[in-house]
Amino acid sequence: MAKSYAQINEKIKNGDAVVVTAEEVIEIVAKRGIKEAAEYVDVVTTATFGPMCSSGAFLNFGHSDPPIRMSQIMLNNVEAYGGLAAVDTYLGATQPSTDQGIDYGGAHVIEDLIAGKSVHLVAKSQGTDCYPRTEIDTWVDINDLNEAYLYNPRNVYQNYNAAINTSAKRIFTYMGILKPNMGNVTYSTSGQLSPLLNDPLLRTIGMGTRIFFGGAQGYVSWMGTQFNTACSRDENGFPLTPGATLALIGNMKEMDSRYIRGAAYEKYGTSMFVGVGIPIPILDEEMMKFVSVTNKDLTTNIIDYSVQGKSRPTIKNVSYEELRSGSVDISGKKIKTSPMSSLKMAREIAGELKNWIQKQQFYLQEPVTQFPMANTVNGLEIRKAEK
Amino acid sequence: MVVKKLLLSFPQGSAGEPVAMELIKTYNLDFNILKAFIDDNIKGTLLLEVRGENENIDNGMTFLREHQVGVREIESVIEVNHDECVDCGACTAVCAVDALEMDSDFNLIHHEDKCLECMQCVQACPMRAIRALI
Ligand code: SF4
Ligand code: SF4
Repeated sequence: MAKSYAQINEKIKNGDAVVVTAEEVIEIVAKRGIKEAAEYVDVVTTATFGPMCSSGAFLNFGHSDPPIRMSQIMLNNVEAYGGLAAVDTYLGATQPSTDQGIDYGGAHVIEDLIAGKSVHLVAKSQGTDCYPRTEIDTWVDINDLNEAYLYNPRNVYQNYNAAINTSAKRIFTYMGILKPNMGNVTYSTSGQLSPLLNDPLLRTIGMGTRIFFGGAQGYVSWMGTQFNTACSRDENGFPLTPGATLALIGNMKEMDSRYIRGAAYEKYGTSMFVGVGIPIPILDEEMMKFVSVTNKDLTTNIIDYSVQGKSRPTIKNVSYEELRSGSVDISGKKIKTSPMSSLKMAREIAGELKNWIQKQQFYLQEPVTQFPMANTVNGLEIRKAEK
Repeated sequence: MVVKKLLLSFPQGSAGEPVAMELIKTYNLDFNILKAFIDDNIKGTLLLEVRGENENIDNGMTFLREHQVGVREIESVIEVNHDECVDCGACTAVCAVDALEMDSDFNLIHHEDKCLECMQCVQACPMRAIRALI
């Protein structure tokens, strides 16, 4: 029997909804089978907590007296974009500071704002007739800001690749430090708990889906950049290569700095750990089949990051279960595997979202519209002249 | 006989050597200098591996403190700040001896006794949650 969003929300309201995490559901399906489990379970919570570079915040400072039309904007010595209206800005997570470099960047300013710390704002302007001030130097915290919301253009990658280095030199990447001569493998996924791997065909995750975002209730605002739904898939619809991504939006004033953390990858740059949880409504047996996926069923490619070209070779296709086991076998050699995203934090988030739903603090939002399912990704051609 | 790792820090202007010589003589301790480090003349740091009777080592430590030398018994030269750590696992990628390792629930564990003092994990940690003590 199929269930509607309205029916599931009614159950949540009455305190009757059965909510489990995407890890807990695996055992339920193993015991009861897909059909019975689909009737029994109403919502499955998924989550991830990993570095997501394509993140940032829109901020509005309010007007000073006399007012300023800010064009060069620095927050704790991190430059924010000055090309918006007078006191609006976008602060990108990966922007390094002028004094501490990548060790303190945009992501750290965002974390500090969410933590309630005050931040040093210095801005300059040409001065105009209506905005005469040319300089401002002050301190602001998140309560002073009119609006502060995260808008992350690309988060929660569906099936990211794993990384290896076949060269003779150690390399520094956003997938961590890769030792020479295939000395290690790194991967970044919450696997069977990962949001987009539990709804591979995006049946329930679309524009407007309500989510756990940095400790607040946020929304899926658009498809993420480099959205690749035309990727190759297995017979059950699960992507074999990087697939969909999501653009997310949420109010920083309601967030918790436990779930938004600035990060610095040596000789690479600043990034931001973002905590995201997405509830999957079990509308029917097909959805139950999707959420019962295990690390054994999911595979990804180990890619050679030492190749400095666009198409890096795949060294091996492996299951998430193998990656999680601590080592993989490549041409007879046992190679250590290390995670880059935190499974512990992802589990905490999936549990927290489950709590919210059970306590009637969070209701499901049906997507306003579905995302396109045959989207491809372009590379960037280098042309000598106008096209 | 026991072996302990001691991290000594000398304040500005104090000379480490005479104090160390005194240690050998008075307390019958054997030691290896594992690392010596001088920080822009502000303070000197010595990592010693000390061998001797437990009681003598304790007395030696008291003696050092009386001479304004900071002494700390350590097992590993790195320290993980668990409030900053998010249990991502990035540091385990570079640790060749599994002194940093994920347990079966994917919590980071630090086996202090296995550490080789290579310091690679310090730069590998994106949260800057690993501090080098020397
Ligand atoms: S210093 Fe080296 S051996 Fe010690 S924990 Fe760090 S990476 Fe491992
Ligand atoms: S790299 Fe840093 S944050 Fe990640 S597990 Fe190691 S100590 Fe913790």
